[in-house]
Amino acid sequence: MAAEVTLAPRAESNTLRGQEESLRAYLADRLGIRTRIAPLPGARALLVSGPRPEHPKGLVIDDSLTAAERIYLYVHLAAHVALRHNVPVMTIVEPRGEATSDAPVHRDAEELARAMWWGLTGDTALAALLPSRRSRLLRALLGNALARTLLRTALLGMRHAYYRLHMTALAESPLTAALRRALCVTAVVCVAPQLARARR
Amino acid sequence: MQTLTAGRSLDALVDRVYTLTEGTLELDRSTLHRIARGQTRIARAIDTPEACVRLYFALMIVGCEQDLPVDAVVQEGRAVLAGLIGDPLATLIIGDLERTLPKLTDLRTLREYLEEGLRIWLPK
Repeated sequence: MAAEVTLAPRAESNTLRGQEESLRAYLADRLGIRTRIAPLPGARALLVSGPRPEHPKGLVIDDSLTAAERIYLYVHLAAHVALRHNVPVMTIVEPRGEATSDAPVHRDAEELARAMWWGLTGDTALAALLPSRRSRLLRALLGNALARTLLRTALLGMRHAYYRLHMTALAESPLTAALRRALCVTAVVCVAPQLARARR
Repeated sequence: MQTLTAGRSLDALVDRVYTLTEGTLELDRSTLHRIARGQTRIARAIDTPEACVRLYFALMIVGCEQDLPVDAVVQEGRAVLAGLIGDPLATLIIGDLERTLPKLTDLRTLREYLEEGLRIWLPK
């Protein structure tokens, strides 16, 4: 049995890592999904279900993914579970490219994940964890590719300045908290732009 | 079974299966020898479908460890599974494999899938 791999020591935003941690705990506590990170050259993630619905499920996430990509996958998989796609003895494979054989299943999950991400539907416990809930302005901005890039660049610039100028006095300010949340949401939408697509 | 042992003794295979399944299979050497010789399809010592599934996952992991081609591992797995477990569960498992395995095109990903499957089916 291959040893479990802990999170790769990337220079990633602590906000993103903290967000990821809370979502992982949500998957474990609420949905009975144990997550581990391992090399998966052929897929982004595998959700393996046991023989009975109450049986724990196992999620394997590819270790090359960033924290933002993992956050997106957790929400997407929570949508699969909400749609009851994870029936016993059923494996959900999140492919690297477009899904082919079960594309409709992934499309439905994508649709629901988008609504869940913006706090428009779904489990209130999950909604409470997401920095993106009810962010209409952000959603509108992030729906445009150019605005998304500019916003991300601006937020990263502010983050850089914050650390460079040691502005720790502002660490607890509401503005800093709002900017952290915005950076987190932007980072996730940048790796999964479909989350910001307009509703059909 | 002969493919999976890849020239090693069946005893070595039994030991590896025991380790992978964390000792949860009451699989004795004579039973595995009988299965390997095709003398029995339903292992007397393995009396639950869950244990058969664990044996399946463990054998497939051994196949990956032998660096067998993905297709060979999958084919061996189907043969083992069809012989070992009863119809309803076999149908479910084989159904999942039919859907999942074509999506796992490399040995490393296949192995991670099998290891996760085995973890899921281990008794708590």
